[in-house]
Amino acid sequence: MTAPLGSVRVLELSDESAEYCGRLLAGLGADVVKIEPPEGAPSRAVGPFLDDEPGPDRSLAFWADNVGKRSVVAGDNAEVLGLCDAADVVVHTLRPAQAEARGLDFASLHERVPGLVVCAITPFGSDGPWADYLADDLVLMALGGSMAACGYGPGPDGVYDTPPLASHGDQAWRTASTYGAIAVLAALAWRSRSGVGQHIDVSAHECSASMTEWHLMTYLCSGGVHRRGPHPTLTASDGRQVAALNPDFLGPHVFAGMLEMLEREEVAGPLSDPAFADPVHRAANYREVWLALKRLAAKHDGETLYELGQGAGLPWGVIRSPEEVFDDRHLRARGHFVELEHPELARSVPYAGAPFLAHGSPWVMDRRPPLLGEHTAEVRAEWSVR
Amino acid sequence: MALQGLRILDFTRLGFGAQATLICGCLGAEVIRVESTRFPDAIRVMPPFVPEPGERGEAFGAATLANATGAPSPNRGGIFYKYNTGGKKSITVNARHPKGLAVLKDLVAQSDVVTESFAAGTLDRWGLSYEVMRQIRPDVIYVSMCGFGHEGPDTSHVTMGPTAQALTGLTFMVGLPDRPPAGWSFSYLDHVGGYLGAIAILAGAIHRDRTGEGQHIDVSQLEPATALSGALLLDAVLNGRPSRRPGFPTGNRRAHPPAAPSGAYRALGDDKWVVVSCRTQDQWESLVQAMGRPNWAADPRFATVAGRVEHVVDVDAHVQAWTAERDRYDVMDLLQRAGVPAGAVQDAADRLERDPQLAARGHYTMLGNAEVAALPLEGVPFRMSATPPHTGGMLRRGPPCLGEDNESVLGSVLGMHADEVADLVAEGALS
Repeated sequence: MTAPLGSVRVLELSDESAEYCGRLLAGLGADVVKIEPPEGAPSRAVGPFLDDEPGPDRSLAFWADNVGKRSVVAGDNAEVLGLCDAADVVVHTLRPAQAEARGLDFASLHERVPGLVVCAITPFGSDGPWADYLADDLVLMALGGSMAACGYGPGPDGVYDTPPLASHGDQAWRTASTYGAIAVLAALAWRSRSGVGQHIDVSAHECSASMTEWHLMTYLCSGGVHRRGPHPTLTASDGRQVAALNPDFLGPHVFAGMLEMLEREEVAGPLSDPAFADPVHRAANYREVWLALKRLAAKHDGETLYELGQGAGLPWGVIRSPEEVFDDRHLRARGHFVELEHPELARSVPYAGAPFLAHGSPWVMDRRPPLLGEHTAEVRAEWSVR
Repeated sequence: MALQGLRILDFTRLGFGAQATLICGCLGAEVIRVESTRFPDAIRVMPPFVPEPGERGEAFGAATLANATGAPSPNRGGIFYKYNTGGKKSITVNARHPKGLAVLKDLVAQSDVVTESFAAGTLDRWGLSYEVMRQIRPDVIYVSMCGFGHEGPDTSHVTMGPTAQALTGLTFMVGLPDRPPAGWSFSYLDHVGGYLGAIAILAGAIHRDRTGEGQHIDVSQLEPATALSGALLLDAVLNGRPSRRPGFPTGNRRAHPPAAPSGAYRALGDDKWVVVSCRTQDQWESLVQAMGRPNWAADPRFATVAGRVEHVVDVDAHVQAWTAERDRYDVMDLLQRAGVPAGAVQDAADRLERDPQLAARGHYTMLGNAEVAALPLEGVPFRMSATPPHTGGMLRRGPPCLGEDNESVLGSVLGMHADEVADLVAEGALS
């Protein structure tokens, strides 16, 4: 059994904005070598740290996005260029001028290695009026449109008294990293047929701008824009909250399933009136539907409410914190979380594992994040020959 | 184009799933969408509707069946146009008709990849299980994309984006301290699930080219999300610091790396905001300079990042007093020219009409079809120098009208003559 990218060499010259790209490629079996300065990649200085003790080999932020890679501290730029000669893919976060100054621009690399795939992931791409602007994930979530649509709704006076909100977890950076991985795969597929490499130019801003679902279409169709405000959410008897979607538009079976469950729970009230079988009547009297759901929620805790909804065929989900996901029985049964040994710490650490189940070419998850410079000597030896 | 020659028989619906084949289409794959006239993709008939040229469409309201059945045509549902660029083709096949099922099997034999996003077991009931497909085409790459996947105790559970967001911690991560989560008001995980679906398709194709082997790849909407919380899971498990704790989540403030000011600040206008985010001491000093060296900024409490984080409420109030009197784009440009990360909070209208970067990068491509006038649509947000992606795919075409490619697909892929196709239509197999 071989991994899709088994024997593919990826050189990563990335700050914390695009390390997730290399992590995805490592999961597909690539040999991802991270080039670091002697003091370590910037992400090694980002917390939280194991036991809250800082140190280059203790950053949990680094661990989360660098699991599966090897680490090399390069002596000088000439050594980096030499590793490029031995690589199939270079993923970097250098601005065009920075790349050119180091001979790492595509034109120079292409001359050295015609088959090399070079993927640059930058905030705004290689050109355009904002190309030199600076951005962190928060700036990209603002410009891309997610923030404008996320947050609390207005007060009773119609005034928004809280700001637009961005998610934790650097979602714009992750989206750009994911698109980078997609483009690298496409470029490798093309290279296997043509023999030629190419330059990939990922603009994180464009990635962030294309992930707000139907918002552009709403504007094009109606002239309206989405304002921020939460989805319908029920509060259960234990205070837990449950996302309670009611996709009536999918067909009459949706309400039928819900009604059967509400009647069994003896909270259906007026919904048992046959008039509610008519979707037009239902839409006009939606308050009665919502009140019945609130009566249901008052009777049950969050996890039970989630199961009741799902049992009725409704796409309900209890709102969990990231660590509560760890206990999900379904993900457990799918073998999702993977424990990796960190021998120098004499402990194992659980990582989010395969993003999908591919039994013919399983996700590779067998290498803990690298210590700083851990693989310098072995990569020098292995990558000196193609 | 990079995926030229890769044929995908595509049964996906809605967002998750269709996002995956959209990406492949923009990279040059031939994507043949299979629908039926009785059961078209729900987003074909859901508001908002694409208006007649020169007319405003119906506003997006509660997506009810009543609205849906009032759809003027299966080709005007606006959301369809977001998820079905990439030059996808459309055919209508009645899988319950023996000759319809035979057509589908013949298409499987000629396809590299089969994608679908139905509830687990649906294709089996049609008589198109993976086992059946593999007999027809031994190296077929079958990529299923459904909420909980095809394996595990809860495969009967159903999801939409917000369901998966709730269950995987995404909803939880958006909110102000000590209030219920605000969450995402849209289906972010439809996108993320689709991106990983595209990776599954590409990885499956590369694996097949290397080994000659096909496989079933089981994509759920949950697993693609678990790595999105970054270090939060590890902090909880290893350091005993759960995310469900007082004071968390922290709105737009981030503890790691410590930074202040960093957040969204009011700008001039009704509910207009601008993000300012100083990640280094140099950026803070540049911000002070750009604001004209106000007296408050000289306060020794604000001299270091640790001091500014400790007194962040005061820092934010001062910064907001300055931004609130200025246009959000003016603040952004002024600060960016001074070397400070900043960005206007933009909505979809701003992105289309005010964002000079998206315009300069050619983010939007004007594409329509036989029924709908050209619209500025999105494809993939990256460039490739040797094999440029295109939002209109190989055909340079907009999203397809329902069934518009019946004759051309059955002709080009199965070698059928027009009269054979007409017979199948007359018999009800292609409807």
